[in-house]
Formats: sequence, structure tokens, C-alpha cells
Amino acid sequence: MTQYAIVTDLNKCVGCLACSVACKAMNGVPIGNFWNKTLRIGPNPKYEGAQFPDVEMYFLTVQCQHCEDPECVKVCPTQASHKLDDGTVQIDKSKCIGCQFCVMSCPYGVRYLNEDERVVEKCTLCEQRVAQDELPACVAQCGGFARWFGDLDEGIETFRGPYGKQLGELVGDGCDYPVKPFSDSDVHTLPNVGNNPSFRYILRDRTWQGEE
Amino acid sequence: MELQWPLILFTTLLAWSCGLFGAQAAAALKGEAEKAQVPALACSVILLAASGIAVFFHLQHWERIFNGFGHITSGITQELIFIVALVVVMVVYFADLRRNGAPGKAVAWCAVVFSAVLVLVAGHSYMMPSRPAWDTFLGPLSLLGAALGAGPATFELIASLKGGTADPDGAGDRLVLWGSVANAALVAVYVAAMAAAGSAFTSVGYSFDPTHPTEALASAAAYGPFASGTAPFSVGAIVCAVAALAVAAAFRKKPRAAVFAVVAALAVASALLLRVAFYLCGGDVFMLY
Repeated sequence: MTQYAIVTDLNKCVGCLACSVACKAMNGVPIGNFWNKTLRIGPNPKYEGAQFPDVEMYFLTVQCQHCEDPECVKVCPTQASHKLDDGTVQIDKSKCIGCQFCVMSCPYGVRYLNEDERVVEKCTLCEQRVAQDELPACVAQCGGFARWFGDLDEGIETFRGPYGKQLGELVGDGCDYPVKPFSDSDVHTLPNVGNNPSFRYILRDRTWQGEE
Repeated sequence: MELQWPLILFTTLLAWSCGLFGAQAAAALKGEAEKAQVPALACSVILLAASGIAVFFHLQHWERIFNGFGHITSGITQELIFIVALVVVMVVYFADLRRNGAPGKAVAWCAVVFSAVLVLVAGHSYMMPSRPAWDTFLGPLSLLGAALGAGPATFELIASLKGGTADPDGAGDRLVLWGSVANAALVAVYVAAMAAAGSAFTSVGYSFDPTHPTEALASAAAYGPFASGTAPFSVGAIVCAVAALAVAAAFRKKPRAAVFAVVAALAVASALLLRVAFYLCGGDVFMLY
């Protein structure tokens, strides 16, 4: 089995929005809509009652999580929303009736109705680029070298980023290693309500906000 | 989330239609109000058709609707299947009425069961883990409450107009009263359940969306049924359902068309208001985006 996904190292993300812009440019996302959005989480107190400067924050990139058990696929009456063998969730626009139940069923609100085509859209994980062995635009253009793409079933150490190397090769202490070590407890997901999101977020030395 | 009026009308009219059809079948089983059977069936068909027209306004590509039978795990597919099944029951029911003047017992029971199941299936379509306020079986049950509140009262209204039973001890009149009791209870319980769902939303403390820099912080409290923008609808739904019950109970010994008309109108108003509150409470669990 294959489950393509993106890992984002939130300690490296600088919130430059390059991923959001690259996605819009690559996929022609309409004005006002986003397939990939960058949110700032915080500043929140480091501990209960803490005041500035004892606060922390991080940037969180949110897009379709290409879930292992996607609710959007279950509720789609026409199978326009479907899961491919590579684990990604895609929409066949020619089958979509625009009922928007998939929009309602997505826990992350990353789907929307394209008003011109009157069908639902969302991140395709740059299917057209991945098919040519390229990285998704949001990964390739990541200004902080924070994003990595790969097959979750192979482990996130095998994910590739704009360095052209695998994540596992670049993890270590010292300035020769652009990715700092992390443990399993540093790897998070967006809130899981049974859909099992595939994307992972690495956050070290800070409190992950919200449930997983 | 924003109001989806076609779906609000669809579910309300569907519940009304099923409630009416189920009530007339219940009356047929008791041998009551025979004169009202054909007009009541016509009304329930009209309501069902109106609900179908309403839902077409929701679909962006209705010409592809027949793809809608394609995926059995989808609530829409399940609704379509049970709507077709109910229409078949209605046709057989009508044929029985024309042939024998009354439906067969099995057909009448099918009408009751299929009406109830269709309402529950339609409500079940909205049970989604992504939306905490919706993800409870009390949602479909509240829709069944609307059917029980509006359907029997509408049937008794038609029966009264056709010179049928006005017997306060008749089964139909008891059904109006107990249907109103069930509706009021289910509306109140579902509003309470939506209020309790607030703790299921994800909280990330402070946050900021650079693409919407002036937007207020997301708050679970805004999705509660008693939030400032939602309270008039939630409270209105409860008030209308309780008022329907009060009217049904107060005029129990003097049943007449005007009483049933008021009970039915209040039950439908309650259902509409509850559906509006339902959408206003329907934030997704990750409410930042």
C-alpha cells in the first residue's frame, strides 16, 4: 500500500506563505479560495498564567490531509470523491453534482465550491507533478525547507524535500544537519475524528495546540 | 456554517410528508377517517414533490443526479433509495384505495414503517464526526419529532374538513397529542445536545489567519444554540413546539379544523427554526479554517 503525505517541520516553518502562493499559482485556485493555507497558532502562554515574553507560537499549514479513512469519500453520492491507489483523495469533477456534503463532512474545512465550475475542489497533492516524479508545489517552493513529501507507509524518514535528499539523511545535531532530531512524541496530526489524517507535523519544545 | 435553505426546506417538507402519510396509514389501520384518505395522500405526495424541488435548488449539477445511486455509504444515495421505496408504497397505497376504498393492512404498515425510516435516513445523512453538533442520533430523532408533530395534525385537519372524525377519544386525536409531546421533547433534547457539543471543538488558544487579518478569533461559543445569533431560532423552535403541544392539549376535548391547523403550523415552524439553528451550530471540529 502507498499513502502519499506531507510532513511539515513546524520549528522550521517561518510563515512566509510561499507554499500557499505556490499552490495557487500552480493549480489556478480562485481568488478568495485556498487549497493550502498558513495559519499562525499563538502566541500562547508557555505555562498557565505566563505573560510576555514567556509565550510561544508556530505556523501551521493546513490543506486536505488525504486521510486514510476519508469521510468526504464516504458521503459522496457519486464517488466523485475517491481515494487513489497512492492514498491521495481526488475529485472527479465530471461526476460531482455539487451537493457539498463532502464540504460538510471534512473536519478541516479545506473543501469549497468552485463558483465558476459549480463543483467542489481541494488540494490534489499536485497529482500532475507527482506523476512526473516532481514534488508538490508547496513542498518544492517551501521557503523554510520545512516541508517533505513521501509515502507514509515507508516512514517519514524517507520523505523528500527541496534539498533533494531524504529527511532521515538530514536529521542530526549541529549546523551540518538542517533538520534537528525529533521523537515520536514530537510528531502530531490535526484533530482526528475517525478519518485518520495522513499529514504529519513535527513540533519540538513547544506545546501542540488542540487535540489530535 | 451558512444556511442551506434548499436543504432546510427539503428536510422539513420531507418530514411533513412522511408524517402525514404515516398518520393516514395509522388512521386506516384503525378504520378511521376514510373520506380523508385520498386528499391526505395527495397532500403528502405534493409535500414530497415540493421537498424534491427544494433539494434540486441545492444541487449545482442536478443533471447528474442519477449518479447519486452510485455509492451506498452516502446518505444522499440512501435517501434516494428510500424515497423511491416510499413512492412505490404510495402508488400501491393509492391503488388499494381506488380498488377497495382502504389500503390493505400490510400496505398500511409498510406506509408507517417506510415513512419513519425515510425520515430517520434523511436525518442520518447529516450525522458527521466533523460537525460535533450534528453527530448525534438525536438529530434524526428531532426530524422524526417534526414528522410526528406536523403529520397527524395535518391529517386530522384534512379529516375535519372532509367531515370525518371529530372524536376526542379517536386514535387520530390521541396521535396529534402524543405526536406533539414527542416533538416538543425531541426539539428540547436536541437543542440541549447541540449546547453540550461545544466541548468537542478544537481549541488552539490565540490564532491568526494572514489571509483574513480582520477576522475575529474562532470560538466554540459562537456555535452554541444559545449564542446571540442562534438563540432566537433555537428558543423559537422550542417555543413553537411547546405551543403546539399546549394548543393540542388545551383543545383536546374540542377538536376542530382550526385547532389542528394551528398545531400543524406551529410544528412546521418549529421544524424550520430548528433546522436553521442546526446549520448555525454546525461548525466543523477544526473551526479555524
